[in-house]
Amino acid sequence: MGKLTIGCFASLVGSLTLDFAVKLSEAAVKKGHKVDFWVSGNATMLSKKGQKAFKDYSHLAKTLQELFATGNFQATACEACAEARGYHKEDTMEGWKRHSMDWYLASCFGADRVLHIGGD
Amino acid sequence: MKLGVFVSDFRTSVDILDRLQAEKMGIIFVGNGIYHATVKEDGKTSPVLEKKASFYALTEDLESRGFSGESLDSRVKQVTYSDVVDLIFNDYEKLVWL
Amino acid sequence: MATKRLGFIVKSLPYKTEASRLAMTHAIASQTVEIYLEDGDMVEPVVCFIGDGVLNCLKSQQAMKHYGVTSLEQHIKNGLLLDMKLMICKEDIDRLSIKENSLVLDAEDIGGETKAEIVPFSEIQKVMESMDHLLFC
Repeated sequence: MGKLTIGCFASLVGSLTLDFAVKLSEAAVKKGHKVDFWVSGNATMLSKKGQKAFKDYSHLAKTLQELFATGNFQATACEACAEARGYHKEDTMEGWKRHSMDWYLASCFGADRVLHIGGD
Repeated sequence: MKLGVFVSDFRTSVDILDRLQAEKMGIIFVGNGIYHATVKEDGKTSPVLEKKASFYALTEDLESRGFSGESLDSRVKQVTYSDVVDLIFNDYEKLVWL
Repeated sequence: MATKRLGFIVKSLPYKTEASRLAMTHAIASQTVEIYLEDGDMVEPVVCFIGDGVLNCLKSQQAMKHYGVTSLEQHIKNGLLLDMKLMICKEDIDRLSIKENSLVLDAEDIGGETKAEIVPFSEIQKVMESMDHLLFC
C-alpha cells in the first residue's frame, strides 16, 4: 500500500473539484492507502467548522470526519491562506491541521504519488 | 515516463495536453472533461481522443451529467473512483491535472 | 539522504486566479521544508512557465500599486534570488509575440545571480521527465 498526497486549491461548494479530491481520498483510504490532503487558497474553506448540510449543496464535512477516524488520512490547511480569508485557529474543524506551505512539500517528499489539483 | 493526465475541462488545456509526451500515457476524463469522451462537435469526436494514450472516463462524473457507459466513445473505458486509485498506484508514476 | 525534485508547471494566467502565485509561493517554501525532513533530505523545486503561463513573466507589473498584492514579477525575482531554476517556454513567448526584453529574467536589482532561461518545450519535457512529481498550476 502507498501514500498519495493531494494538493487542492479549488473552492468549497462552488466547484465540485474539491468533492473530487475528497472522494478520491476516500477511495484510496478504502483500498488501504494513506492520504495526505493539503488545501491552500480558496480550498482552505474546507477546513472551516460549522458547515451545514443543505439538499442542493455538496457537503464534505461528514466524509472528512469519517476519513479522520480511519487514521490513514490527514488534512492540513495553509495557515496564511486561511487567515487571509478570516479563518482563524478557533474556526477550524476538528481533525484539521494548519501549517505553512513547506508542509505540503514535505508531504510530497514522502509520497508515492502526488496529485496537484490547483484551483477553480 | 508513465504519465496519468486528469482532464477536468472541455475547452481549456487541450493545447497543453497536445504537447505532453510519455512512453505510457493515460488520460482520465473527470469533471467536465468527460464531455471529450461523449460529445461530438460538428459531427466530430474530440481531437483529444486522437492522442496516443489509454482513455478513461469517471463513471460518477458521466452519470452526474446524464451520460451512461453507452454514450462513451469506443476508445474510452469507464472507471470508478476505486479504479482510478488503482490506475494511480499501479499504472502511472506521475500525475497531472489539467 | 535524498533529494526529491518537484516540477511546478505554470500554465495559468496571473491575477484572475491565484494558481500561478501559489505555485511560486509553494516553490519558494522549499527554503524551509527541512524542518519536516530527516537531516540531509531536500526538496528541489523547478518552475516552468508554459502556454499562457509565460505571461506571468512580463516586466513592469503594477499589481502592488493597484491591488496591494505582490506581483508575479516580484515572486519570480524572489525565486531567482533564492537560486531557483526557472524556465520559460520559447515557443509560447514566440506565439504570443513577446520580446525577450519584456520578460523578467533576473533579479540583479535585488542581488540575485541566477537567471531564468528561455528554452524550447522539448527541454521542459526533459525536465518533466526528470522530476519526481509534477504539479501543474
